[in-house]
Amino acid sequence: MIPAFALALGIVLGLILDPTVPLWLQPYLPIAVVAALDSVFGGVRARLDGIFEAKVFVVSFVSNVLVAALIVFLGDQLGVGAQLSTAVVVVLGIRIFGNAAAIRRHVFRA
Amino acid sequence: MSSHRPRIASTTSGMLSSLLEDALDPAYAEAAARRGDAGERDDRKRSQTLSLMIGGLLVAGLLLGIAYTDTRAEAPGSERARLALLADVQRDSARTAELQERLEQLRAEVADAVDAGLVVTEEGRAQSELVQRLEAATGVLAVEGPGLVVTMSDAPPEESVDPVSGEPVEVVPEAGLVLDIDLQVVVNALWAAGAEAIAVDGRRLAPTSSIRTAGEAILVDFQPVSSPYVVEAVGNPDLLVPRFAGSETAGRYDAYRQLYGIGFDLARAEQMSLAAATDYDLRYAENTATPTAGPTK
Repeated sequence: MIPAFALALGIVLGLILDPTVPLWLQPYLPIAVVAALDSVFGGVRARLDGIFEAKVFVVSFVSNVLVAALIVFLGDQLGVGAQLSTAVVVVLGIRIFGNAAAIRRHVFRA
Repeated sequence: MSSHRPRIASTTSGMLSSLLEDALDPAYAEAAARRGDAGERDDRKRSQTLSLMIGGLLVAGLLLGIAYTDTRAEAPGSERARLALLADVQRDSARTAELQERLEQLRAEVADAVDAGLVVTEEGRAQSELVQRLEAATGVLAVEGPGLVVTMSDAPPEESVDPVSGEPVEVVPEAGLVLDIDLQVVVNALWAAGAEAIAVDGRRLAPTSSIRTAGEAILVDFQPVSSPYVVEAVGNPDLLVPRFAGSETAGRYDAYRQLYGIGFDLARAEQMSLAAATDYDLRYAENTATPTAGPTK
């Protein structure tokens, strides 16, 4: 329950504080969001599977965001940023779907 | 070749299936296995777990919130850039209009001087009349007189919702937009109906004038015009008005008005004055006669 509150609080803070994102960081924001969603869904599923570990969650969260941003950054330097962004979104999207399906099976038993 | 295929296929399907099946980070399973070995955790570790989790989720939520506000803020940003560009365009358009006015003034002075020089002799007077008639026909001179005003406008906008900000915006339905071809057809029908001089939104048409679309704007001789489009045609109203009103073109746009809601109105005008055209340069033809009047090169 407390973690869910933390997530909601984070969202509300992001909405209220309305920080200005520097221009150079803007291309990585959507990728970072998808990576963060992947980690959150992974964490929820692990919790339902009974194998949740906070350290794994935090490390995977941070590394996911960083690696995704790094891939897109490299792609930008090589001139294929848009394609690599798509690749990252597809891979993480599939994982989010997989984890969401597992969560659904846990919750609804169907 | 064919012997390689199954292997390639199995490699790809292996990658895909591992992607589809192992959605959960394997690190969780490994950590669980380690924990199983180590046994129960103590209270200190429990509170550390909680704070790690809260911190991680707080950052994740923050990221979501920031992404949302940033995406929302981006649309007004591009809108600001658009407005700045618009101001630039308007300022330069005003300057162009100013210079245009000056040009017309100078051109009128030249024409007056030419006339003054010509009317001295009988032959010169005939020449002067010919020049004036030609100048009116080619749009070189400003003209005035009675005629017909055709007003066309886009259909009234419909309520819609902006996909990003979710705020209501007004969008003109595509079928209700007046296009360059519509203006072209109407102008041609007006010429056919006997118009002697035509201006679209105050831009006088010369024989070489163009009405074209660039992006979403309609350009008349490279100058933008916008809805409502006022097409002024000078000519004998007793002939021009019934001929145009009875034409196939007018009938068609009347139908479009009822079907798609575009504006299409005819009005007889007793007195109109049309400015001179801007673009009447000869591109290929060369004047062989000795220069007599201002407009030829």
